[in-house]
Amino acid sequence: MADFSAAHHITFPLLSDPDLVVIESFGILNTLIPPDDHPWYGIPFPGTYVIDDAGVITHKFFEHSLAVRVGPEQLIAAVRGNDFTLEPADTTPVEDVKVTIDIEGPDLPPGTQRDLVARFSVPHGQHLYDDPVPEGMVAASIELDDTPGLMAFETVKPDTRPLTLSGTGETLDVYDGDITLRQPITQNGTAGDQVDGQRVVTIRGEVRWQACDDMQCGLPQRQRFELLIPAGRITLPDMGPAAAKGHTEPMNGEKHLAQMVERRRKSEK
Amino acid sequence: MEIEVETTANPGPGKLWLDIDGFAGPVKPGNGPRRDPKGEFPTGPDVGTPLPNIVARHHNDSTVDLHRDRAGKPAVVVFFRSAVW
Repeated sequence: MADFSAAHHITFPLLSDPDLVVIESFGILNTLIPPDDHPWYGIPFPGTYVIDDAGVITHKFFEHSLAVRVGPEQLIAAVRGNDFTLEPADTTPVEDVKVTIDIEGPDLPPGTQRDLVARFSVPHGQHLYDDPVPEGMVAASIELDDTPGLMAFETVKPDTRPLTLSGTGETLDVYDGDITLRQPITQNGTAGDQVDGQRVVTIRGEVRWQACDDMQCGLPQRQRFELLIPAGRITLPDMGPAAAKGHTEPMNGEKHLAQMVERRRKSEK
Repeated sequence: MEIEVETTANPGPGKLWLDIDGFAGPVKPGNGPRRDPKGEFPTGPDVGTPLPNIVARHHNDSTVDLHRDRAGKPAVVVFFRSAVW
């Protein structure tokens, strides 16, 4: 752990749980791996918790795929109450809904999630809708084009309030004022194309919405976007092909792995 | 909770195997460390509940007591698989 921390210039504490006390107390041991399968037994379903100052869990990030992790920008947004590392939003009053779309984060390495962030400036007195909406109306959403290798997860949306339509008596979920939708994305290592010697992922899609006030609704709107982001690399163990290509920080990984296997074998006896 | 393992596997480039999401690896999905859950799986304590305390060894050999040491500040706790593979 100390070698790994030094090799990757890590500034936070790395904790070890060799007897699975913590993992088992949380109930997140990966029980799909049998105890005699060295050295893989004893790992958790990987995930992340965010706690507030009182120690209460405010956010939890777990994915099915072992390769997918929450991104640091998403964690910062969670800890800061959905504030961003992006430039502050333009709060100038608008006549019509205005949408800006950004990717939060410098790159899109395989498995690391980043957020596609759509910020809607909404004129005073108007509101947007969350799903579900009646036929003919359009909820605020981010729709990605099919892109090979790109993965998308559930959109993170702000709170809504119920609004009952006077005509039909139907109750819909509406967003008041300016809103931000966050669409987590990552890629599986095959997305993108080589551009000027670096791999770049092009993310295309559209943002949809419809704005209404208490009296009437505007027409459904859509705005296309096309954003380019470098593919980036993940941190890999210094073994195998990655080490041979010089893609990793040297830190004696093979020796540590051998030690780990040996320790587990002995602990069985 | 009965947990199922995701075994979808497709041949990839070279001797690699692709999992259901297209991630490549040397081990066939459903084996070794590539045993991802399919469907529901346990993710520990729920949002809105207190995080159980964690007392564990720091990489500098000291002992960390999470709720004591964070001294009333928020924290992020990451569970990961290994530092060497």
